[in-house]
Amino acid sequence: MSDEKTPEVPTDEELSRMSRDELARLGMKLDGVELIEYPDPWPVKGTRAEKRAERAVAFWFTLSGLAGLASVAAFIFWPATYVAPEDPGYFMYSLYTPVLGLTLGVAILAVGIGVLLYTRKFIPHEIAVQERHDGGSNELAKRTMVAQLADFGHSTTIARRSMIKRSLGFGGGVLGLALTVIPLGALLRNPHAQSANAEGLLHTGWQHTEPNEKVFLRRDTGDPHEIALVSPADLDAGSMETVFPFRESEREDEEALIAALNRSDNPVMLIRLRPEDATRVIKHAGQEDFNYGDYYAYTKICSHLGCPTSLYEQRTNRILCPCHQSQFDALQYAKPIFGPATRKLAQLPITVDEETGYFVSTGDFNEPVGPAYWERRS
Amino acid sequence: MTKKRRARTKLQRRVAGLLALAIALLGIGTLYSFLVPEPQTAQAQEDPAVVRQGEQIFNNTCISCHGPNLEGVKGRGPSLVGIGEAAVYFQTSTGRMPAVMQGAQAEKKPPVLSPEEVDAVAAYVAANGGGPAMPAESGEELRGDNPARGGELFRLNCASCHNFTGRGGALSSGKRAPDLDGATEDQMYAAMLSGPQSMPRFSERQLSPEEKKDIIAYVKSVTDGNNNPGGDPIGGLGPQSEGLIGFIVGMAALVGITLWIGAKQ
Repeated sequence: MSDEKTPEVPTDEELSRMSRDELARLGMKLDGVELIEYPDPWPVKGTRAEKRAERAVAFWFTLSGLAGLASVAAFIFWPATYVAPEDPGYFMYSLYTPVLGLTLGVAILAVGIGVLLYTRKFIPHEIAVQERHDGGSNELAKRTMVAQLADFGHSTTIARRSMIKRSLGFGGGVLGLALTVIPLGALLRNPHAQSANAEGLLHTGWQHTEPNEKVFLRRDTGDPHEIALVSPADLDAGSMETVFPFRESEREDEEALIAALNRSDNPVMLIRLRPEDATRVIKHAGQEDFNYGDYYAYTKICSHLGCPTSLYEQRTNRILCPCHQSQFDALQYAKPIFGPATRKLAQLPITVDEETGYFVSTGDFNEPVGPAYWERRS
Repeated sequence: MTKKRRARTKLQRRVAGLLALAIALLGIGTLYSFLVPEPQTAQAQEDPAVVRQGEQIFNNTCISCHGPNLEGVKGRGPSLVGIGEAAVYFQTSTGRMPAVMQGAQAEKKPPVLSPEEVDAVAAYVAANGGGPAMPAESGEELRGDNPARGGELFRLNCASCHNFTGRGGALSSGKRAPDLDGATEDQMYAAMLSGPQSMPRFSERQLSPEEKKDIIAYVKSVTDGNNNPGGDPIGGLGPQSEGLIGFIVGMAALVGITLWIGAKQ
């Protein structure tokens, strides 16, 4: 609203005679902007300096293209399969990731530098001044603006149409609710939906599915098809081994074998105490016959938040959870002695199968494994 | 001329005969050493002189904590009966023993005992209670040819304490699992066999020798600066250190570029 220096509006005839340069300046003037300085970066055309600047910009763009090509070529042709550090070809292999990153990085950087150089070398560095008025708008402008807004509200007649208001409130409210229900609803899950039976979280893969079934303790050798069972002669005193359930009926069932290794509540730590420590063991009521000699089997799933508690210190007989530093005493039914865990680790009842000489579990854990859930009593 | 030549041939014949005898003897000796199997372990049939030397060293350096009959001293050191050659080799060759002071755990340091002294003490301890012996192979022979399986087994059995790439980690009450940089193949094998300090033992029936060698091959492929495709592992700890460096270096680069863009010509 600066009415001091409103430029004269040219007539149609004048307009048609104006050059592009004049039109651009007029447009800026109408917006209250005055160009003080508008230097041509290269007033003399075709100088060597200008040619050099042009070549520099072109160089960066070309470099970017070449680096991009090199990146694609490296992605396709560079040796990317793993090579052990001592083997021939390791050096080239070890450069795979850096080469990809470097070439692609150079490609992006060079485009940026090229664009920047272009603007610095060839775009005029103009100095422009824009007229600004001081303070707020004048009283006239304020009043008319308020009146315009109020008039718009009044003209919709929404204030006296309560049926429309209420129905809009209903429609909008329900729409908002629907939009929140969809993302929130996806968070609600039935924790028992994927359980094998109705008791769900109470049981693990060690549960006997039929009476007199033998559930063996199996070690993971890295090959899910290799079935290696554990016998009492296998572990030295002061040892720990992670074991998983195995049933003879699953020997040929590839999926079941892999599922038994992957099920999250299956891993069990089979610990062989040193004989001098085994004499100091304190057993939990109801678990007196859960061990086999010096062998004790505890779940690997922490009773705090379910991390794998597989840090077994054979000197102190402590079992550590790496997530929140809970510690359990292997000599006292794996009760928590430090950290945030409040429940003992569940103990798996084990014995040795008389026919085969391998360890078997005599049943499932006698309590739920892992962290708390709503229905859990303890 | 002819006389001289004849004399020379006589000398030549004599030398040739001696040479042939020497070669034959050498050949038989070499063949013998190849054909006769090396003794499997140094257990039990140890040279009594070496055992005596070991006893001497034990009495000088170890006896104050482990007792005159390896039975241990209460409050100072555990009994060494039955710990075996592997345990002695690991503890002394990594410098953990003889310990400087009582602490949460004995620290790795330059070894005090020479390799010969280590062998002698190991022989003495093995002769008084037995226990796991070192494997017949040593050095590079202890690296398996399947580091991928070794990695599987490492993540299953070792990574919970030593981290996925052998960076080590914290244990209870000031103890910690060491990083595995600089550990030799023999030391790793001995550690798995003997279970030093907090570490559980892994018998040959729990992890077969081949499995142990694969684990060693895996550890060797990710330690000593090998797991380092970007030029600097920045601790090998994962996103924390990498994120920090990325943030600081990236910020500095952005500020620098911004200054360059805004600079007057």
